[in-house]
Amino acid sequence: MATKARVQAPDSDTGNPIRDSALGLVPETLQHYLPLNTAIWEAGPLTAAEIELARLRNARHVGCVFCKAVRYDIAIEAGLSEDKVQMINDEFLSSSLTPREKLILAFTDQYLHQPSVPDDDLMQQLQAEFTEHELLHLSLVVAYFNGFSRCAVALGGMPDELPRMEISVPK
Amino acid sequence: MAWITAGNDRETIMRSLPGIGDHFAQLYQSFWELPHIPAGILELCRLRLAQLHNSHTDWELEQYPLDPEKKANLRQWSKHAAFTDAERACLALTEVHAMDAQAITDEQADAVKAHFGEVGLVALIQALGVFDGMIRLGLLWGLSAPEGEG
Repeated sequence: MATKARVQAPDSDTGNPIRDSALGLVPETLQHYLPLNTAIWEAGPLTAAEIELARLRNARHVGCVFCKAVRYDIAIEAGLSEDKVQMINDEFLSSSLTPREKLILAFTDQYLHQPSVPDDDLMQQLQAEFTEHELLHLSLVVAYFNGFSRCAVALGGMPDELPRMEISVPK
Repeated sequence: MAWITAGNDRETIMRSLPGIGDHFAQLYQSFWELPHIPAGILELCRLRLAQLHNSHTDWELEQYPLDPEKKANLRQWSKHAAFTDAERACLALTEVHAMDAQAITDEQADAVKAHFGEVGLVALIQALGVFDGMIRLGLLWGLSAPEGEG
């Protein structure tokens, strides 16, 4: 992984980690990224803890060190414990996560590893557990965080590791 | 029709979750109007992603008009005379980004920057993430039949 940044972030210090990152170099897209990021967390039917499960599963797959280290405070407030975070590994099916939480990770894996219509068994479980709006929200959550984390990795400047850090959703 | 909700196309389905889907659509649309990187090159990269994902629907979609010779020879972009050095630099980065963003080399990034600067590189990488996401969503929802050309 490239530990040296491939672009110079803008010379700004707004306190918003998205605006102050390399994404801030492209104001034409930044004006859409910022409200989308807020909406992903606040405008859909899934809880912040459920969103964080999918986000962290994706971060692990993409290998985004920053994304893996971050914990969003609203997800913790919504009940996502560090014990649960530790279960977001490849043995999650045999973990003590709830069936709903396991389905969130299975859906995320379907998007990441084999983007295609799920098999009948998984589809029936998803449709029994989630509403249409919840499944749509989950789809957009995974798509958003996958694109965002791959962007962070591709732009370089990623350290080998970072300590766990709790942050708020940038506004 | 998609299994996830009523609707036959991505736009209709995304509009059924207002407040998020509309922001997603606006971000996607913004890439086609950027001053930092030509829309024609972004379209080549989007179509290359459609090929790599074997998404017939995304291959058939025309987001921006292209020279038909380039579309017909996109699989041979690295050797075919129709492609410019700038297009090759962006397509090379596209292919690696599609497989593993961690595998992008400094040389590949520098090649894009040589044509479009740092802002162009950021714009391209952002676009690839969103284009890839749109294609994956279509496949996941059952909107893109993986058949034929693509």
